[in-house]
Amino acid sequence: MKSEAMTEEAASSARQGAPEIADAGQPSAEHVISVADVTKRYGSKKEVQVTAVDTVSLAVSRGEFVVITGRSGSGKTTLLNLISGLTTPTAGHVVLDGVELWSLSDRQRSRLRNEHIGFVFQFPSLVPSLNVLENVMLPRAFGGNHVGDDVESRARMLLSTVGLEEKAAAHPRQLSAGQQQRVVLARSLVNRPTIILADEPSSNLDETTEQEIMELFERVHETTGVTILMVTHTSQLISWGTRSVRMAAGRIIGDEPVAQARSTQD
Amino acid sequence: MTLLHLALKDISRNAFRSWAIFLCALLVAGLALATLLITRGAQDSLELAVDRLGADIIVVPQGSETTVESALLMGTPTQVWMPEERIGDVRNVDGVSQASSQLYLTSLKNAACCSVENMFMVAYDPETDFTIQPWLEKNLGGGLSLGEVVGGTFVFVPEGEQNIKLYNYLLTLKANLEPTGSNLDQSMFLTLETARDMSRMSRERAEEPLVIPEGKISAILVKVADGADPDAVAVQILKDVPGVTPVVSPKMFGTFRDQMSAALSSMVLVLSLTLGLSLVFIALVFSMATHERRREIGVLRALGASRAAVVRSLLVQAVILTCAGAVIGAVLAAIGIYLFRDYIVTRVGFPFLFPSLSGLFSFLMVGLAIALCGVLLAVVAPAVRVSRQDPAHAMRE
Repeated sequence: MKSEAMTEEAASSARQGAPEIADAGQPSAEHVISVADVTKRYGSKKEVQVTAVDTVSLAVSRGEFVVITGRSGSGKTTLLNLISGLTTPTAGHVVLDGVELWSLSDRQRSRLRNEHIGFVFQFPSLVPSLNVLENVMLPRAFGGNHVGDDVESRARMLLSTVGLEEKAAAHPRQLSAGQQQRVVLARSLVNRPTIILADEPSSNLDETTEQEIMELFERVHETTGVTILMVTHTSQLISWGTRSVRMAAGRIIGDEPVAQARSTQD
Repeated sequence: MTLLHLALKDISRNAFRSWAIFLCALLVAGLALATLLITRGAQDSLELAVDRLGADIIVVPQGSETTVESALLMGTPTQVWMPEERIGDVRNVDGVSQASSQLYLTSLKNAACCSVENMFMVAYDPETDFTIQPWLEKNLGGGLSLGEVVGGTFVFVPEGEQNIKLYNYLLTLKANLEPTGSNLDQSMFLTLETARDMSRMSRERAEEPLVIPEGKISAILVKVADGADPDAVAVQILKDVPGVTPVVSPKMFGTFRDQMSAALSSMVLVLSLTLGLSLVFIALVFSMATHERRREIGVLRALGASRAAVVRSLLVQAVILTCAGAVIGAVLAAIGIYLFRDYIVTRVGFPFLFPSLSGLFSFLMVGLAIALCGVLLAVVAPAVRVSRQDPAHAMRE
């Protein structure tokens, strides 16, 4: 499948918009994610409109492990979707790696997502018709050739990292929920992303499996230096991150380093 | 890992949708090819029959047009007669360049004196003939001698014998004509001299004599003069020559053309209905299948699949299934028609000429194209619709 890389021209023109946004979200060169005054409203009529995210600004530096917490409906998943370019903002700007996301075409944005973002979802997200190895290699079907290595070797190596090398030929239905999430984590890393977006990755898991998954996230963070944004409703998971962001009613109501967050909770 | 790989995996997973598209494509392509083959085969056969006739006008006894057409097109044995003097009358009509008489004869049924039963025979006059004689001179270097015949494609000397025996008269088969796709392939051509000799000898040798009424002929083939209008000449013949009906060559086999046209219209109607229903069915099945995969497609979008890639992935599946179904459907239709081609000619009463390999290949391509265009038309809307859904919204469902 031929995939068209985002052109330098488009990327450059998208980057030109970045400084203006940088002022709003206080990002700097090392900010891999800059969100400036982003709002997302659902519904077409004013009287039935719901504001899921309300003028949120957030800058995330390269290598941070940000845990976003909040109650159900606080807007944390919507924020994650806005950052990934899966949801169109009603207002505001999202800049990833210096590129204004919404100045790109769908193809360019998809390409950016493919090359820069790894996803871990709350729900089972493996493709049932593909085996474990194929699922890990799946993002390469949509590009990712920039990585330049043998995708199968890399997928096997990642499966080995998450302890599932022997399950390479198995199908998703043959795996437990925890194993499936480990495969998803391996898949999220196949294109060597700069950001991993994890939406409640352990909410469907028991305590022991949750611990295993979080240890994996920690190991990936430490060994690769990838920036992680994790959304969770469980405040106990905050301690795994380096920074805690709390949301309520579509707004950020707290943003602290983890040690500070712990002390606040205590 | 490629989109093609993903499409193939999805085909094997979604059995109901895959079989539905496959079978619809099979049905549409098979029907399209069958319609094309029969339409074209009948038309080719008709044109060949007109060509072989080689005359601008055929003059037959009044009221026997359909019988003679049936004999000339389908080789249906017939015996019609008109006075021999009519040929002189026809020659005298303005615009007539050449006129040659023919006798239509038949071999006996269930008679030991005939090695081929119920065979349609055309006896021509080599002195005036302008249709068979030129072919003979071109292909055999000369005309037929007494006792010699030319047969249709399927006329052959019975095994273990040297000659074809009709009315206990031994005939030498000099050559076979190209296939016409009609029962003319089982007919025989001989000179008037041979026919009369056979008739004379049959009175002594055959179980029943071959009767050729004295001073009678069956038909007159007419070639009009350069620049003359065949229709006008035919009208003039009708006026000047009593007891005959002239049939102009392009209007020849009119009854057959009408029958075929009605039958072929029915086939086209069935094809159109099948195509329409198949497309609606495929569109529904495909919509259901993509609706069920909303979340999965949302995930693919999150992993970097563009809207175009999602559409391509879904269309690739449809194309693979359609091509597989259409090729099998078309091949089955071609084999079926090939196997039943004689049935079409003898039982259905359609002249039918199976196309050459290159012709068949073109028809296969047309059948495939019809199925492919139809299926793509049916699936493109659901594919575009699912690609345009909000991935985040789809993943939440």
